[in-house]
Amino acid sequence: MSTELIKVTINGQEFAVEKGARLIDVCREQAFNIPSFCYYQDLALQASCRMCLVRIEKMPKLQTSCTITCTDGMIVTTQSAEIEKAQRAMGEFLLANHPLDCPVCDRGGECELQEMIFDWGDVEERFVESKNATPEKFLSPIVANDPQRCILCKRCTRVCDEWMGEDAIEAGNRGVNTVIGTYGGWLDCSQCGNCIEVCPTGTLLDGTYRHETRPWELDQTISTDTYSSDGMQLSIGSRGGRVHRIVARDRYVDGLNGEFLDVKARFGHGFVNHEERIKTPLIRYKKGGKLIPTTWDEAIHFVTNKFKESGNNVGVVASPRLTNESIFTLKRFAKEVVGSENYTISDVEDLAPFFNNLSVPLATHKEIRHAKTILLIGGEPEEEQTFTAKQIRQAVRNGGAKLIIVHDTPIRLTAQASQFIHVNPKSLDAFALAFADKSDKTILSKIGAAQSEIDDLLKLIGESEGDFIIMFGRDLSAEAQAVLANVAGNFASEKRRVLLHPLPLYNNSVGANDMMAGRKSLSDVLINSTALLIGGSLSKPSALTDGFLSRKDFIVVQEMFETATTEFADVVLPAASFAETDGTFTNNTGFVQRVRQAVEPVHQAKADWIITSMIAREMGVDFGYNFSAPAAFRTLADSIDAYAGLRYPHLKDESKPVQVKHPIAGKKDLSKETDALRRGVEAMPETNEKIIGTPKVGHKLHRLTTMTSKTAQFHLLAHGNPKPENLLVSPLVQFNLDGTPRVEEKAEAASAGDRISDVKRTAGVTLDGKV
Amino acid sequence: MEIKAIGCEPLQLKRVHLENSHTLKVYQENDGYKWLKKAMEMSPDAIIGEVKASVLRGRGGAGFPTGMKWSFVPKDSPKQKYIVCNADESEPGTFKDRYLMERDPHALIEGMLIAAFALNSQTCYIYTRGEYKYLIDIMDEAVEEARAANLVGKNILGSDFSCEVYTHTGAGAYICGEETALLSSLEGYRGHPRMKPPFPAVEGLYASPTVVNNVETLTAVPQIIEMGGISWRDLGTEKSGGTKLWSVSGHVKKPGVYELPMGYADMERFILEDCGGMLRDDKKLKGVIPGGSSVYIMRANDVIGKKVLMDYEGLVAAGSLVGSGGFIVIDETVDIVDSTKNLTEFYKHESCGWCTPCREGTDWLVKIFNRIAEGNGRPEDAQLILDLCDNIEGKSFCALGDAAAWAIQGAIKRFPEDFKPYLNGQKTTSTEPEARKF
Ligand SMILES: Cc1cc2nc3c(=O)[nH]c(=O)nc-3n(C[C@H](O)[C@H](O)[C@H](O)COP(=O)(O)O)c2cc1C
Ligand code: SF4
Ligand code: SF4
Ligand code: SF4
Ligand code: FES
Repeated sequence: MSTELIKVTINGQEFAVEKGARLIDVCREQAFNIPSFCYYQDLALQASCRMCLVRIEKMPKLQTSCTITCTDGMIVTTQSAEIEKAQRAMGEFLLANHPLDCPVCDRGGECELQEMIFDWGDVEERFVESKNATPEKFLSPIVANDPQRCILCKRCTRVCDEWMGEDAIEAGNRGVNTVIGTYGGWLDCSQCGNCIEVCPTGTLLDGTYRHETRPWELDQTISTDTYSSDGMQLSIGSRGGRVHRIVARDRYVDGLNGEFLDVKARFGHGFVNHEERIKTPLIRYKKGGKLIPTTWDEAIHFVTNKFKESGNNVGVVASPRLTNESIFTLKRFAKEVVGSENYTISDVEDLAPFFNNLSVPLATHKEIRHAKTILLIGGEPEEEQTFTAKQIRQAVRNGGAKLIIVHDTPIRLTAQASQFIHVNPKSLDAFALAFADKSDKTILSKIGAAQSEIDDLLKLIGESEGDFIIMFGRDLSAEAQAVLANVAGNFASEKRRVLLHPLPLYNNSVGANDMMAGRKSLSDVLINSTALLIGGSLSKPSALTDGFLSRKDFIVVQEMFETATTEFADVVLPAASFAETDGTFTNNTGFVQRVRQAVEPVHQAKADWIITSMIAREMGVDFGYNFSAPAAFRTLADSIDAYAGLRYPHLKDESKPVQVKHPIAGKKDLSKETDALRRGVEAMPETNEKIIGTPKVGHKLHRLTTMTSKTAQFHLLAHGNPKPENLLVSPLVQFNLDGTPRVEEKAEAASAGDRISDVKRTAGVTLDGKV
Repeated sequence: MEIKAIGCEPLQLKRVHLENSHTLKVYQENDGYKWLKKAMEMSPDAIIGEVKASVLRGRGGAGFPTGMKWSFVPKDSPKQKYIVCNADESEPGTFKDRYLMERDPHALIEGMLIAAFALNSQTCYIYTRGEYKYLIDIMDEAVEEARAANLVGKNILGSDFSCEVYTHTGAGAYICGEETALLSSLEGYRGHPRMKPPFPAVEGLYASPTVVNNVETLTAVPQIIEMGGISWRDLGTEKSGGTKLWSVSGHVKKPGVYELPMGYADMERFILEDCGGMLRDDKKLKGVIPGGSSVYIMRANDVIGKKVLMDYEGLVAAGSLVGSGGFIVIDETVDIVDSTKNLTEFYKHESCGWCTPCREGTDWLVKIFNRIAEGNGRPEDAQLILDLCDNIEGKSFCALGDAAAWAIQGAIKRFPEDFKPYLNGQKTTSTEPEARKF
């Protein structure tokens, strides 16, 4: 869209609008109400509901304002008897076969059809014939479908196609018999639930929330996703201390992700009120003994005495799932309470080398959507950073961006790519080296790529104008990430801006890196300390199997669930989940966003930063927060440069997120890193065996209700019985209606009676068990 | 079945009576493919100029000037250009294209090739309805014959003009006759219409410039090249050039395909003399639907003694449209409520379901017609039906909704006496099963 202004007259008033602007948007910006159902910004135009009719001078018929591009001198009327008649007529048509069962509809109270008809008031019922009946059904255990309420706006099929690239649902049949359905009966897709979210009526419904409450009985709390590093904004619907559902409906929340969420963010909230949450503090008085319930006073007292004995040998580990406030408080505990330099993050991925070598700023998701060129090296955003994946897809589909993927696996997004450089397994580091040091031609044979492919890539970048975004996955080593972050700036030119986008795994990976500056490595901390305070659980299995934990004198774990880590704990302190806490997460674009308490902490749980502060106070150090999250945030903001001056009031509006500016390092000498990469390349075998076949999104098997925010990654589910507790969310495993796995050989794992602890063992997850 | 020209030399029907008229041999013996040769010696602009001069208007129903449509194709577009023949012929009452393809397939191929040459296209598609499978076999055979004679394919007649002709069948949906739905179907998608603009001439098949023309439109092209645009035009009138095929059905003695010069006078003579008069001598003419089911029905007294001219302007003046030339003659035994109910069911059945007014409106209207047929009509139903038609007309996504509205509006406005008893609760009295089927 150019910034050239043209004149448009609406209802007699003249406006200067941007050339190319869409009439419906312009009218709405000027507060002229235009009803619509099928129009949805940034989706393909549909023009099928015919609600948005307006009169444009010199045009023969009423026109759909959703399809009209403003032209200079256009004269538009949005309100007249003729227009009102037409709009009411469309409403009347939509209600003709509609069952009018709002009183039993889960969308009642937040239905756009209901709202529009109510706004008109006196709708005469002229339809006296009998309504066509179509039975309701489940498309999958979490997507319920009541076709009779459908107005065929096809927002659902468009988001499935355009956002998800899944194309799992489509309209079937014809005319008035048209229904939204699946290919072959059972919804074979990533179960993102976006079709449910965008559905303006009660047709597609959250199967896990069926008939639980009326929407208006829910308290809506705007918060941040606790799974992905994209920092998606969502609204937690809670009532009576329970989280009932999570949505991103624009009537409740207006964040960077719009109405987009994924299966984890939307449906993976069953852990909050799960029966297996740790209810009270627990003490294991004797190594090898049992964890025994106790009071907070007793537990804090016990911990204090033990930590005092250990002195500065206490190590501190924080999960990157925790809020900035909690991670920062854990670091303060190490430095100010036990005087230890042994503090770290439990994540195996170290983001410090990346952030210390930034040569250009981080991209925002909006910038990704409007980028002209995107280079993705490794990673699996469709599974791990789903919103980023959606932005990439739309940049290509709707924005004509060029996508270049360098990967050892042909992930699904390669279908969208202008260029796919298929490298040998585990050779992404080597590629990073080749990309940074174009003089070294020996590397290519090790990566299994041809010089011409690299030339094409560089040509494509060289010719590109507009924003060029480089993103890379966790499958690149810290050294490789450092090198790429540092060379990115070389591609900038007058016509081309370069931006970086990291793809870390956890909701607060970036915040954890910021909070825990100056940290030691996890293994150093585990080796060098005799006692440990662990916020969350460890996610690195080797750290456990190596027997580190079993050799410690004393271990305190702040957790929501009993996990493999708490098996080594002497004291377990019940921690609050993200839904029970106030705080902040920092996402992969540097946005600091609020986490808000939706429900009271369950049982005796407390926010992690409060637990840590309580121990500190008992040990004689008052952090001065006075148990106020805003105060905790103020303290951290004042001690970390990038966050300087930030306060909660600045973070109030989720539609205007605040980006912390990570310092841009100048050109640096990275010979140490490149040498390390080179040694890695030298050690690589000469091979040309490629990974073929595109993996389905997801790797492990989980039960929806037992998914915690630790849950690594997963995909779908599906068990015949549409009760959420029977939903298996898995990766490569999909289930038939009868509960048998679709892909036999992948079918280890959970049978219908599994609990969290079983799933943890069978699927090898949940070592890291808390928010 | 009568197939003849009246008031002019047969042009469209020139060869259809000949034995083996579908073969290349017979076609070429009758000057076939001569006009392609002639066209290939002309400049593309000159060809388009002749078509413009001929005032040929699209014979598919909308009557859009063909030469103008062709000139909308952007010449400098680097994209492929496509010629698509709309042989879906699904408008109730229309069956002329079928005769042309069955008896004179090479005329269509020649017409398409001339269009392709004029528009710098290398690919032509013939899209027919699923029920016309047997025509596709005839067309395929003709294409193969033409290919063997170097008339289709690479370097046609030794020139550097190459052009392929492909055939494709839909699954038998009325909506796939609408040009943009046809293109969706041709691409393999559901037969949904697409937004206009962009018009097919700019962004059609595979988002490339595409000309969609009816069979009869394309078979007229070689005639225009032969005679020159002006002479062809002068067969008809200044604004409605050339000759036109009418598919005559209903209560006449000689139903069939008739070729008339545009501006033929008059409709009364056409029905009562040319078509052999009323099927049963004792039954009077009640009405005519002159242009396929989608146009306004005419009352007998708007025909008899009115000297209605059979061309675009004449029919508009008489309160209807040429449409596709599906000429349905109705005698006094027909209950217009019953026949309109039947048509409404057709539109409901064929509504693609994309847009609200047509999808829900046609379903609702069928329910109302069913109700009144069962004796549950109410006086206010006439107003309700008209209001629903008004709410569909001009508000639907494509012209199918408009067509449904016109068919019903025409009937209820022009035959109120047929509706009146029903609206007072009378049951259907139709004992004439044939009346339900046209
Ligand atoms: C519902 C509907 C059905 C149509 N069916 C046909 C058809 O069967 N054959 C046809 O040639 N045109 C049909 N048309 C008209 C086409 O959309 C289009 O105008 C025509 O193919 C253009 O060719 P022409 O300019 O040669 O007439 C139909 C239009 C509508 C709205
Ligand atoms: S859940 Fe997501 S992927 Fe599945 S059908 Fe709905 S939008 Fe498509
Ligand atoms: S299911 Fe919902 S979103 Fe999809 S077409 Fe129907 S009303 Fe629209
Ligand atoms: S008017 Fe609407 S529903 Fe009817 S055929 Fe056209 S697009 Fe489909
Ligand atoms: S919003 Fe414009 S037609 Fe639906």
